[in-house]
Amino acid sequence: MIELLAQTGLNAIYGASYISLVAVGLVLIFGVMGVVNFAHGELFMAGAYVVVALYAERFVPFFIAVAAGLIFVGLLGLLMERSLFRPLRDNPLGGLVASIGFLMILQSLAVMGFGVRMEHIPPVTQEVIEFSDRVRLPVARLYVILAAVVMLSLLSYFLKRTRFGWALRASAQDPQAAALQGISVNATAKIAMFIGAGFAGLAGALSAPLVSVTPHMGHSIIVTAFIVIIVGGIGSLEGAVLASVIYAVVHTFVTTFYDGVLADITGLALMLLVLIVKPTGLFGTANRA
Amino acid sequence: MRNTIIWIAVAAGLVALPEFLSYSQQEILVFLAINILLVSSYRLLTLTGEWSLAHVVIMGVGAYTSALLTKAVGLYVPLGIIVGGVAAGLIAFALSYLLFRMKGFYFLIGSFASGEIIRLLWRRFREPFGGSKGLKGIEAMPDFSIGFHRFDFFEPASYFYFTALVVALCLWVLWRIEKSPVGLTFHAVHWQDHLAQASGVNVRAYRTLAFVVASGFAGIAGALLAHYVGTINPNSFSVEVMVFVLTWAIVGGTRTFYGPIIGCIVLTILNEVVLRELGLEQTRPLIYGAILILSILFMPKGLEGIVQKFLPKQEAR
Amino acid sequence: MMSILEVKGLTIRFGGLTAVDTLNFKVEEGTIHGLIGPNGAGKTTTFNMISGFYAPSAGEILFRGERISGLPMHEVARRGVVRTFQHSTLFAELSVLDNALVGTHMSFRPNIFAAIFGRDRENRRRAEQRAREVLEFFGLADLSNERAGDLSHGHQRALGMAVAYASHPDVILLDEPFTGMNPEETEQMMGLMERLRAGGLTILLVEHDMRAVMGLCDRITCMSFGRLLAEGGPAEIRNHPGVIEAYLGGARHVA
Repeated sequence: MIELLAQTGLNAIYGASYISLVAVGLVLIFGVMGVVNFAHGELFMAGAYVVVALYAERFVPFFIAVAAGLIFVGLLGLLMERSLFRPLRDNPLGGLVASIGFLMILQSLAVMGFGVRMEHIPPVTQEVIEFSDRVRLPVARLYVILAAVVMLSLLSYFLKRTRFGWALRASAQDPQAAALQGISVNATAKIAMFIGAGFAGLAGALSAPLVSVTPHMGHSIIVTAFIVIIVGGIGSLEGAVLASVIYAVVHTFVTTFYDGVLADITGLALMLLVLIVKPTGLFGTANRA
Repeated sequence: MRNTIIWIAVAAGLVALPEFLSYSQQEILVFLAINILLVSSYRLLTLTGEWSLAHVVIMGVGAYTSALLTKAVGLYVPLGIIVGGVAAGLIAFALSYLLFRMKGFYFLIGSFASGEIIRLLWRRFREPFGGSKGLKGIEAMPDFSIGFHRFDFFEPASYFYFTALVVALCLWVLWRIEKSPVGLTFHAVHWQDHLAQASGVNVRAYRTLAFVVASGFAGIAGALLAHYVGTINPNSFSVEVMVFVLTWAIVGGTRTFYGPIIGCIVLTILNEVVLRELGLEQTRPLIYGAILILSILFMPKGLEGIVQKFLPKQEAR
Repeated sequence: MMSILEVKGLTIRFGGLTAVDTLNFKVEEGTIHGLIGPNGAGKTTTFNMISGFYAPSAGEILFRGERISGLPMHEVARRGVVRTFQHSTLFAELSVLDNALVGTHMSFRPNIFAAIFGRDRENRRRAEQRAREVLEFFGLADLSNERAGDLSHGHQRALGMAVAYASHPDVILLDEPFTGMNPEETEQMMGLMERLRAGGLTILLVEHDMRAVMGLCDRITCMSFGRLLAEGGPAEIRNHPGVIEAYLGGARHVA
């Protein structure tokens, strides 16, 4: 029993890792630009497919493929910022709808480029860390966990200790005041979008060998991300991380002891509960929404 | 008088239309009629300013209800369709307790979550919903004779007449509601909900009313679909379909009653005629996505804006 | 005799800020009662509490002796206390007649089933009749089919009042009705309000235009920093040292 709990706990930490990368990206975009990026799940998917294209099909070394995934998806984010969110800055609902359109386009491109079938990529390493007979952590998963820890720490440092980061936070708090201070709205939008999208792409790239990659994988990712940011509080990065952990724990445990669909339902029900009782979530500020 | 002649001409045209079309094109007519009802019912919802993402799933509630009842209890199919609509309305009513505590963006997300939960329930429970595979062998509309003609509802043309009749009736009801004081109140709630409240309007009750009525008609559309296609599964009512509905509404425009209908017809013709001819149906989501983006960016008034330029200036409602 | 509207110990706090602090005053039936004070005094907040937009943190509001504080806005309206808004006064996209029709909502409650089957014809006729009467009273009858958003400012204000009046209220709360009006429009509006009062309506208004306030109001309550500063007839208030000082800070001219 202890071992089952420990294993489930490890699974939860792994889940929390990639979920928090995605969710933090989404919160960053929402916080700085005020727009909900419905295509965020597809950005994750794009990162996964970069790894499919480079690592699985062309045998590029894994970590280079991952880096390429991060950059490529970051650039996709910049494309979205320039073509969709910037012209629609005054119309957040329009931006949301436009992101839905972009979602459809990305999905379609993936279908046309790679087909609908599931891709199974050889794992980058078969090694496993064995804590005991029944408690094991594949090293491939460890990479995801490490990446999450490193990137989130870097982001935290960036936001708190650098000028750019400070500009981002100021923009998120009060865009007009920030503009008056000489902070360029376009520049902060671009940075936020690159990082936000890049994180999603990174999560997708690292997850590619561990899950089945399909053009529709973005759907469950975006649902999860929404649950997490609502529960964590819509403007809050710390909330997103904490909520990712909570969600991953709940989801993994329900899946282990019951089944996956019930776990999904539980997650959604949790989100509805938060929306009803305290829409601003655990750490949410009433600012943006 | 002139209007009556126009409507009779339209009706005659619709009756004659299937004669000129191939079998598969007649099928498209059936789906077009159903989709027109779906998008028009969605518009009623947007009249009060609420944009829900659960609409297509609620359509599915009507579909599943009618499919299950007609099989389990042998309910007469037309009655099943009505019951499907009622069931959808009831589910909407129950959801309204949750959802109308949320405003704007939260309502959108909340409706999305509710829709997903319902779909997951269909997927989870093989009894009675058939799980991921859904339901097969749904009862078809029973054959129907009126003296000179026997209607075999396996034929798309016949089902089209039936569907067109039902849809026309539903649209008439929706139109009557919109033109009534109830419709005026919906507009008032949309534009200035505080001012409406100050005039004694129970805003939440009206939002719920719009939601329930819109959902009821969506349920009817779902049941019509189920009894034609014969099989339904959770993916029949996925987010992708919801996005189509959104696209029709946005492209057509929601300021007028006919806006979303125009959007639906234009995009369906685009899909069926253009894309199918070019062999590009697979690109449908891509084209829709692009059209959605272009619409939002460059044509925010929708196609109805173009139509309105040609119509005589009407009273401001 | 019981006052038609009574505010007792009314207090509201937003976070750490006490916007209104133990406010007490009474409004008598059939009078025009002014609520004045410099910017930030809490007048609109008080208004919002009376109309049900905010629930007070403490204290109560009584309408004909019945507690209405804390009720939602539409319930307060149904009991006979209706308000206008300073901004977004109207349904700009609708016609003038349609605006007035919304005002008749409470008296001629729409019924969806009746509407579908056309059974509500009589109701609709009477509602339209009432709406037209009200527009006539406010001098807007000629503009019935115009889009409300296209009206001149003065007409828009009048329409806002017409919408409120259409529901046969007992008390109308007017939120800065004279703002942005030229002297001619102000005169007309004042005449309108006097006719309303003559018809038995009670009016409570928040206003900065001192000429209108002094010329129109039977009684005036002056607030400052969320508290009651002074209360009395126009002559008393005009000469009240505290009031003069409160306004002098904003360089206001008390006529």
